[in-house]
Amino acid sequence: MMPIWTKSGKRHAVTLLKVQDCHVLRYVSKEESDGKTSKLLVGGKNASPFSKSESAMEIFREAGVPRKQKVTTFNVTDDALIKPGTPLYAAHFRPGQFVDVTAKTIGKGFQGVMKRWGFKGQPASHGQTKTHRRPGAISTNKASKVYRGKKMPGKMGNVYRTSFGLKVWRINTKHDIIYVNGSVPGHKNCLVKVKDSILPTCKDYNKNPPFPTFFADGDEELPEDLYDEDIFQFTDPSVTYA
Amino acid sequence: FSLSGCRISGDGKPAKFQPPPKPVIVDKQKQREQRRFLSPEFIPPRGRTDPLKFYMERKDMIQRRKVFNIPEFYVGSILAVTTADPHANEKTSRFVGICIQRGGKGLGATFVLRNVIEGQGVEICYELYSPRIQAIEVLKLEKRLDDNLMYLRDALPEYSTFDVNMKPVSHLDYEEIPVNKLRVRMKPKPWSKRWERPKYNIKGIKFDLPEEKMKEAQKWSQPWLEFDMLREYDTSKIEEKIWKEVSEELNK
Repeated sequence: MMPIWTKSGKRHAVTLLKVQDCHVLRYVSKEESDGKTSKLLVGGKNASPFSKSESAMEIFREAGVPRKQKVTTFNVTDDALIKPGTPLYAAHFRPGQFVDVTAKTIGKGFQGVMKRWGFKGQPASHGQTKTHRRPGAISTNKASKVYRGKKMPGKMGNVYRTSFGLKVWRINTKHDIIYVNGSVPGHKNCLVKVKDSILPTCKDYNKNPPFPTFFADGDEELPEDLYDEDIFQFTDPSVTYA
Repeated sequence: FSLSGCRISGDGKPAKFQPPPKPVIVDKQKQREQRRFLSPEFIPPRGRTDPLKFYMERKDMIQRRKVFNIPEFYVGSILAVTTADPHANEKTSRFVGICIQRGGKGLGATFVLRNVIEGQGVEICYELYSPRIQAIEVLKLEKRLDDNLMYLRDALPEYSTFDVNMKPVSHLDYEEIPVNKLRVRMKPKPWSKRWERPKYNIKGIKFDLPEEKMKEAQKWSQPWLEFDMLREYDTSKIEEKIWKEVSEELNK
């Protein structure tokens, strides 16, 4: 995570996400996927092919791509289909867009009720016998049962969670890095799924993206760094207030 | 009349003329080049982060340094910082103070300046790479006995007062940075932290505490810490590489 300053002098924190060897793996048509939209399977970071069975390796062999560590599905409209085997780059997103980031949260193991659910626990002194971090009562007398979904101690973390509506501040096309506002679930160097935001307030900002994606062998030549309009670029002189 | 004929060597024959030793010329320019200063926020902390992240941050830091001069300074030097302030009269505010702490790595590196203004102690934490900073001047470049001068909060206020209209003290490039061996007198206890304990390792305080208190403080010493191999972080090679990279970029 890194600090970033806007032209008005305000400071924001930013997470760097690297797009590492992403390829489109397979196209699943509308009928096959039993849904309303067709799907595209996309694979992330390269990994060794020796620890997977032959049947699992079929997808990668058909697409002509080394084995990927993570495979995710994206629901795609019919006009945005891409041929399997095309590489995807960070320039698929542009500064000013809003993005949802999904990843597995850091695993904390078996945790008690205070850390996992934020319960207040009991006082440290004034006569408390062996009760400082316990949940206390778990149900009422009238219910005479414990409801399903009662918050209790258990395994915490290592679950997929999404942060919604994160602004993209900057894109580095040379190293394929996306600078995304705020924090993102997951530990350092973990695999993450980045999608266009579904929030209704962010619909306007996501217009005119590179459609269906940014092709590196195309005619368009992008500069090494793409910045949002509001960002303070370090080539400019210091900020002054008129 | 010369004594050359009288010179006798071990053999008894007249000694061979030996010219006087050549004077050693100390080249000040070369001395200047030998002294390299790499700002401490360039050195990446120990962790599992990808080195690419530090490289991207370093590029941004070098870019900012090309446009705006961040001078060399240490904890204990007196600085004057002018920042852009939307609520001030002339939209700029200037603060003079002694640097008591340099923290953070990368773009978020900070330094804390302390001064006593009209009897009130004021500490301001500035970010080195913030675009709101208009100028940083080093009024007096010097080091102190410690890396962290937080104990000045519990020292007598005369040690933290500095004239706001101080003239900059000139410092030649090739001279070594002077170390101010001042030992500071403290206010009566209680202090904000127990500075006499060995964990803070402070050399810059003149303790007036009785011997028993000093001995009791040594109870909290952890003499095994300096031998702990897992805590070792040798930055010499990393520093060399980063120094080369940074100096090449800045001299372009």
